[in-house]
Amino acid sequence: MSRRMPARRRLSRPQWAISIGVALAIIGFIGAAQWNSSLARQEFVTSAQRILVSQAEQAQRQQESLRAQIEEAEARVREFQERDEGSRSAQERLNEELAAARFAAGLTTVSGPGVVIEMADSLRPPTEGQNRSAYLILADDVRDVVTALWASGAEAIAISGGGAGAPPERLVPTTSIYGVGASILVNTAPLSPPFRIEAIGPEGLADRFLAHPSYLIRVSERIEAYGLQFAWEARDEVTLEQFVGNTRLRYGAPLVED
Amino acid sequence: MRGRLAQLSLFAVALLIGVLLVGQLRSQAPAIELSSLSAQELSTLVETLQLRNVELSDALADLREQIREYEREEALGQSTLDLSREDLERVLAFAGLAPVTGQGITLEVEGDFDATNVNDLIYELRSAGAEAVAVDDIRITARSVAVLGAEAIEIDGVPIGRYVEIRAIGSPRGLQSAMERPGGLLLQLQQAVGATFRITRETDITLPATERDLAPQAARPVE
Repeated sequence: MSRRMPARRRLSRPQWAISIGVALAIIGFIGAAQWNSSLARQEFVTSAQRILVSQAEQAQRQQESLRAQIEEAEARVREFQERDEGSRSAQERLNEELAAARFAAGLTTVSGPGVVIEMADSLRPPTEGQNRSAYLILADDVRDVVTALWASGAEAIAISGGGAGAPPERLVPTTSIYGVGASILVNTAPLSPPFRIEAIGPEGLADRFLAHPSYLIRVSERIEAYGLQFAWEARDEVTLEQFVGNTRLRYGAPLVED
Repeated sequence: MRGRLAQLSLFAVALLIGVLLVGQLRSQAPAIELSSLSAQELSTLVETLQLRNVELSDALADLREQIREYEREEALGQSTLDLSREDLERVLAFAGLAPVTGQGITLEVEGDFDATNVNDLIYELRSAGAEAVAVDDIRITARSVAVLGAEAIEIDGVPIGRYVEIRAIGSPRGLQSAMERPGGLLLQLQQAVGATFRITRETDITLPATERDLAPQAARPVE
């Protein structure tokens, strides 16, 4: 018992000096890496680009603010609809119809069994003479995966990008998916890799998705040729947030039949 | 005493490493690397974001007007069912569950295109600002995609032929110029599969409601 060394004495002076030395070396390495990466980014930006980057950031912030306000206003409208004091049965029927319509339109948060797919740019360096963009996830790749999911029976899909924390974009009848440089705009929100596509659908959605290679020819060829990263997983429970954005027609109107 | 000092030093160093590592990882994965885009790409992005922000501002103004109408009706002690019915019609039209009428374009396309080409055309129209789309008499919902059926390309189980008429509600001029832009999809299809196309601006077109049942089997709403 008495021969057992106290814990605080186990670390002799040379040992902790070596530990701190190694740790300081790691700090130096990380610090240098950070300094270098910020230098590289700054060198790349011209003054014209800097102004445009600032404008894009400002527009993105404005979009986030507008979407938050729309979400709040929509919740307020729903409050009014749910507490209407008119005919109780008429109100209930109308609310049921509204709930079904909102679901079909992607305006309701939903959950259910489904599949999660992640796609990211290739880790391979471009070979000589190859365009760097061939090694990036493009809008076509995301569209093809989305098409294959809808064709496999998906009932709701959302796409997020830029890692954890980025708000997902729910796909609705007006959703566009297109590329601007290395970023992909979904519902006009600029997303960056890794892209996460989540879908809800009847049992076997993942199996049906993988059994439809014809919809995935373009993307599977690019995965093979350029090493794009692709992973999928079936899930018992996936939750997809409602769409927040413009749902109003500016150039048209519902055709009300007499 | 010396042991305590060693522990404190190690703790401080570990903390510093942690902070630096988090900083490094965050800088490796920014939300979007705007500085990596060219000036032209940035201009396109800024223009797109600003256009969409105008649409969102309009939508917000409409919602606020809707809230004011509810408040007025409630203050007068009247039922707001009519306002809710209007909202239902709007949501049904957005979802594709009700017919819509308005301005837009008719795009006639003929060629040996495949299902992917048809899906790309629908996405191209949406990117150009289409608010509602129908291919022949098939109203396009979020879930509608062109697939290769038993004998022909099908959308929502309805076959389409070599000639399709696509109608889109939106700004007639904006839709036409976006679809005819140099290097755009229509010109690519013209070269790739010999497709021919014709765009007509319309002041009054009507799109039918979808015939597809959009009721969920697996998804359930989260309260």
